[in-house]
Amino acid sequence: MKQIFLVCQNVDCKSRGSEQLMKELERQVAERGLSDVEVRSYICFGACQDGPNIVLYPEKSWYAGVKMEDLKDIMNHLAGGPDVKRLDKIDASLKELIYQLLDTGVF
Amino acid sequence: MQGILFPRGVVEGRKDLTEYRSGGGYNGLEKVLKGMTPETLIREIDESGLRGRGGAGFPTGKKWAFTQECSEQPHYVVLNGGEDEPGSKKDRLLMENLPHLVIEGVILAAYAVGASKAYLYINSQYKTARDSMAQALMEAQEAGYWGEKILGSNFSLEIVFVAAPPNYVAGEDSAALEVIEDKQPLPRQKPPFPATVGLFGKPTTVNNVETLANVPPIIANGAKWYRSFGTPESPGTMIFSLNDEVNCPGIYELPFGSSLRSLIEECGDGVKGGKTIKAILPGGPSSAFLPADQIDLPLDHNSLRAAGSSIGCGVVRIVTEGTCIVEEILRIADFFAAESCGQCPACRMETNTLAAMLKKVQQGQGGQPLLEQFSKIISFNKGKGFCNLINMPGPPIESALRLFRSDFEFHLANGRCPQN
Repeated sequence: MKQIFLVCQNVDCKSRGSEQLMKELERQVAERGLSDVEVRSYICFGACQDGPNIVLYPEKSWYAGVKMEDLKDIMNHLAGGPDVKRLDKIDASLKELIYQLLDTGVF
Repeated sequence: MQGILFPRGVVEGRKDLTEYRSGGGYNGLEKVLKGMTPETLIREIDESGLRGRGGAGFPTGKKWAFTQECSEQPHYVVLNGGEDEPGSKKDRLLMENLPHLVIEGVILAAYAVGASKAYLYINSQYKTARDSMAQALMEAQEAGYWGEKILGSNFSLEIVFVAAPPNYVAGEDSAALEVIEDKQPLPRQKPPFPATVGLFGKPTTVNNVETLANVPPIIANGAKWYRSFGTPESPGTMIFSLNDEVNCPGIYELPFGSSLRSLIEECGDGVKGGKTIKAILPGGPSSAFLPADQIDLPLDHNSLRAAGSSIGCGVVRIVTEGTCIVEEILRIADFFAAESCGQCPACRMETNTLAAMLKKVQQGQGGQPLLEQFSKIISFNKGKGFCNLINMPGPPIESALRLFRSDFEFHLANGRCPQN
């Protein structure tokens, strides 16, 4: 199934470098020739204090407070490696709210 | 119909000091300075039941008492003439045509709360209103109604202008204080409320233009007289704004408790082209839609709240048959997304997400499960902002979904409006 990296591009996440993160993700995805992986911007996940936020959907992995050096582990997870547990710090109720919304196709 | 602010119908043309005085203007101020203490003045306003006209409807006497009772000095008064509610022009008209009525209200408020300085915070696009107020200020100063030792009393007051940025959030009371302090128009976290910790951290009363315009007639004629208008919980009158949907758009002063029907049919001369009403938004974009069969509802705080809506600042919008509610609500959601100042993450998320969701519905995407998400997003974010904007998209969206679900379902099935 096609996986999508949704990278928040709202004010807080942007101020913490989400634009560069998005570009780097796009570069790495292209470099590996992953045609079934897409990188898209997202309006806001409502976890601004914990940004930059990236959600891998439909897998439903949420990476918060992502730094450039975390991308290696995220890409590794995408390729079948372990979950990046240290970036999984978002409250379950917010996750559920956002995942339900994403399930309706709003992204 | 007899009014309070416009006793002989909506005033056309500006009233200068002579005209204002010939109608009893500044009598209230003279009466107060001759022998009313600030406490007595506040009690009179409290007994009149005057409520704020900026949208929240808070009792004015109580607001004044919060400031007056603070030992911290100095105290300030801010006239909030930001008026950024779409479709609202009542405050502009009051400042343009009845500037002395507004200024007398400001002076009385300052006396009541013990303020030595008042700020006239006026929408920067309201040039005529500002000029009219500036001229009236000069006239009033020459006549001794403000300045040092007003009318020989011990009460002195300085009055200055501040331009209000013309965006929605700048009309929020604490954002107005930020602007006066020469900062960005961003609402403050509350509590503390401006009444006790306001401008430069000092107790500050912020009142809407129409609210303060009601003060001189109350003082001149008494609380009992004021209560002869309106209903027990919403005494007096309110100015309602009707826009292009009716034959005679304009602003109309009606006693609280008058029916929506009388406003639309008698004042507005009915809906343009004789169209059938589909829904009414009685209190601006943040109020809940009422179905057409509620047209006999009385326009007062309690009646509209009981019907699940609110009176706001009196901008009544009529949606006619043939108008798609999805398009209406998308415009409202886009408005709040654009006007959210962005400092509170939850508000940014909510307003942007709701607008994006409605766009999907409009295009026929998302299906029933998407419709189920609206109330979840709204309740998740409720009350999580510094100001009330975060709570504003909820009432119109949820009422639209409840009352006009078929419009949403048509969009989901066909990706277009039922009418096109």
